[in-house]
Amino acid sequence: MENLHNIYLEEAEDLFSKIEESLLLLEKAPDDSSLIAEVFRSMHTLKGSSSMYGSNKVADFVHNLETIYDKVRGREIDLSQPIIEATFKSLDHLKKIVESPDIPDPIDAKYHEKLTAEILGLLDESEGTDKITTQVQGTKRKTFLISFTPDKDIFTNGTKPILLIDELTDLGTSQVFSYMEKGLSSKKYDPKKCYTSWDILLVADEDENPIKDVFIFVEETSKISVTKVFDGNLLSLPEFTSQLPPVDLNGNRLTLKTVKSFISKIPKKVLEMQEEENEIMEIDVTEEVAVEETQKTQGSEESITSIRVASDKLDELMNQVSELVTTQAGLSMYSENNFDPVLNAIADNVEKLSRQLRDIAFEMTLIQISNLFRRFNRVTRDISNQLGKAVKFVTEGGETELDKKIIDSLSDPLMHLIRNSLDHGIESREERIKTGKPEKGTIKLSSYYSGAKVYIQIEDDGRGIDAEKIREKAITNRLISKDDKLSEKEIFDLIFVPGFSLAKSVTDISGRGVGMDVVKKNILDIRGDISVESKMGQGTKITLGLPLTLSVIDGLLVKVQSTSFIVPLVDIKKCFEIKREELSNDFNELIKLEDDKIPYLDLRKEFLIKDEDVPAKVSIILLENESNRIAVCVDSIVGEYQAVLKPVGKYYRNQEFVSGATILGDGSIALVLDAYKIIARKIVKQKKSA
Amino acid sequence: MKKNILVVDDSESIRELVGNSLENAGYFVLKGINGKDGVEVLRNFDDNVSLIITDLFMPEMDGIDLIREVRKDSIYKFVPILMLTTESQAEKKLEGKKAGATGWMVKPFEEGKLLRIVKKVIG
Repeated sequence: MENLHNIYLEEAEDLFSKIEESLLLLEKAPDDSSLIAEVFRSMHTLKGSSSMYGSNKVADFVHNLETIYDKVRGREIDLSQPIIEATFKSLDHLKKIVESPDIPDPIDAKYHEKLTAEILGLLDESEGTDKITTQVQGTKRKTFLISFTPDKDIFTNGTKPILLIDELTDLGTSQVFSYMEKGLSSKKYDPKKCYTSWDILLVADEDENPIKDVFIFVEETSKISVTKVFDGNLLSLPEFTSQLPPVDLNGNRLTLKTVKSFISKIPKKVLEMQEEENEIMEIDVTEEVAVEETQKTQGSEESITSIRVASDKLDELMNQVSELVTTQAGLSMYSENNFDPVLNAIADNVEKLSRQLRDIAFEMTLIQISNLFRRFNRVTRDISNQLGKAVKFVTEGGETELDKKIIDSLSDPLMHLIRNSLDHGIESREERIKTGKPEKGTIKLSSYYSGAKVYIQIEDDGRGIDAEKIREKAITNRLISKDDKLSEKEIFDLIFVPGFSLAKSVTDISGRGVGMDVVKKNILDIRGDISVESKMGQGTKITLGLPLTLSVIDGLLVKVQSTSFIVPLVDIKKCFEIKREELSNDFNELIKLEDDKIPYLDLRKEFLIKDEDVPAKVSIILLENESNRIAVCVDSIVGEYQAVLKPVGKYYRNQEFVSGATILGDGSIALVLDAYKIIARKIVKQKKSA
Repeated sequence: MKKNILVVDDSESIRELVGNSLENAGYFVLKGINGKDGVEVLRNFDDNVSLIITDLFMPEMDGIDLIREVRKDSIYKFVPILMLTTESQAEKKLEGKKAGATGWMVKPFEEGKLLRIVKKVIG
């Protein structure tokens, strides 16, 4: 907070000098509207931030000045010399009082009043005083009928009506009825419009005003009425609730008249009793709360906050949830195709529930990566001792959460990378002292979220990787030829090629043939990617990008003929549509997009799908990873799809593009494409043919 | 998953104050220093934003134009947008609503109110 206050003071300082500068210019050109606007805006900002930082006196003072400049801006008054004078004086005064907004010095306080009066005098008319209304709120329970008919276009300004209903029902006990516009055919139905209205019976202690406040953002555009129908809790009376219509209202709104007629049918005795009870209840409630609270404090000491569950039970739960999500997708699809409001409502509910269930189940399988990081602390210490090197091991972002399965399969690759850093990266003490580096080397293991991925970095301040050495080695191994021009990044990527090891001698720690290629394979297996950055003499940084979870991916559902595929959304850059002729013109399998030639992969060709009813237009999905781009051609794009990933059988193990399969809502199967592998293979092919 | 919120205000102190409160409440906060910058931040962000909170008076591009610009983008057609206003801006409030704003927050406000309103529009 201290820090924030300093930002405020600095900003105020800035604004003062900005206003002063503009004022000086305005003295010469009092009609310059852009300068006036500038002064006004600065004052407005100053007022806003002053009020937020509790300096009300400053805010009020600036408010008056702002009003003057608002009028100047609106050409209601001219910017006269007295106004400019007063503004300068005010600025000097403000500079003093922003630091101590309570104005402790009596001389300053007097001056403050004098200046305020002067400014108010400059204003043609002083502001009307705020009316203060006090309301005495009763605490008795009341039953309200609220009818809420949203504007059809309510979604277009970002309002989610359902949140308003939630907020309303949080105020007390309630019964919510919804009404859907009659005679709506699926053809006329526009998903961007709101066809539903709500009638709500709410029992609350509040007055009408807090209830109306719920609708504050929509009151001008939507029809809202809040009426108190009864002093007491109607919803607790079976005599009343038994008369209520079903929640979908059978197509008739719940009007005030209907509710009143329901009330009139309740025997008088019952009503009177309810009113009395209401009074007694008040006392009861407070007692109950007190009891509850003592129970809470007692309970919190003993209650168990977590339990251990066998991980295979969690796996089983995840499996079942995945099945549920698939089944639900089927239900949703069926209900969409068969327009039946009741079925729709049920399907929506099932969808909501299964989504929540899925989220909770996912969260349960997530564990903090610090569990894994901790393991390496000890290992680093042992190995560095063994090697006679001094190493500081730092971890960061241990609170990052990942799927347990991913964390399990990260252990080996991370171990390998850390060993590499210790063995080859960090120099010996003597060498470090000679090169002017701190005697102790540092290895940093960090983790963070970005987009839909988790990144893990292993960073050392050792000697770095010698790109030239890798090049030479790659040439002797005939991986590349002498004339090949490779970027630094491409050179570093060579260390992931099987059998490529830079270690001169096999030590105990690393370089036993299990090389970086295995690390890469392990990371690819969990749908991750790996990249290396290194500077000679300064250190190496290896970054792993990982998905949050293995079992579900957000994908784009696409079609070629009748075959469906899923492309992971994280890898997609853009989607286009082009004419089919534009594709076939090119033998190099390149298409021109945005002045750039991009290699493409036609799924129709790759998967040997028959050329029947080939549409005239092709949808192009542009995939991108790091610096490489590739286009994938399909017939049509269906839409976003949350795919539950299932492994493909062993016959598919050696195929190149598919990372799994998923069952769609209609029971058919879609293959999930592996964007990373597609890009990698296509780039290699391109290089070879070039 | 954390929800992302874009806060656009030319006043650094307000940006920080609002940003801090939201971050402490568990949101991921992006910041823009004026309308133009806000739109750019939004376009360069590789994830979706669940809510935009914007000041109205700003240099380069003001809040109303920001709202209009954002609403043009199909991804952000239905995303809630809150305006930061002062008590005297009734007309601006209406103009903002017409441009597609969801609601408003009158300065000054304390953290509790901010979080309540944020919760009101994004749940």
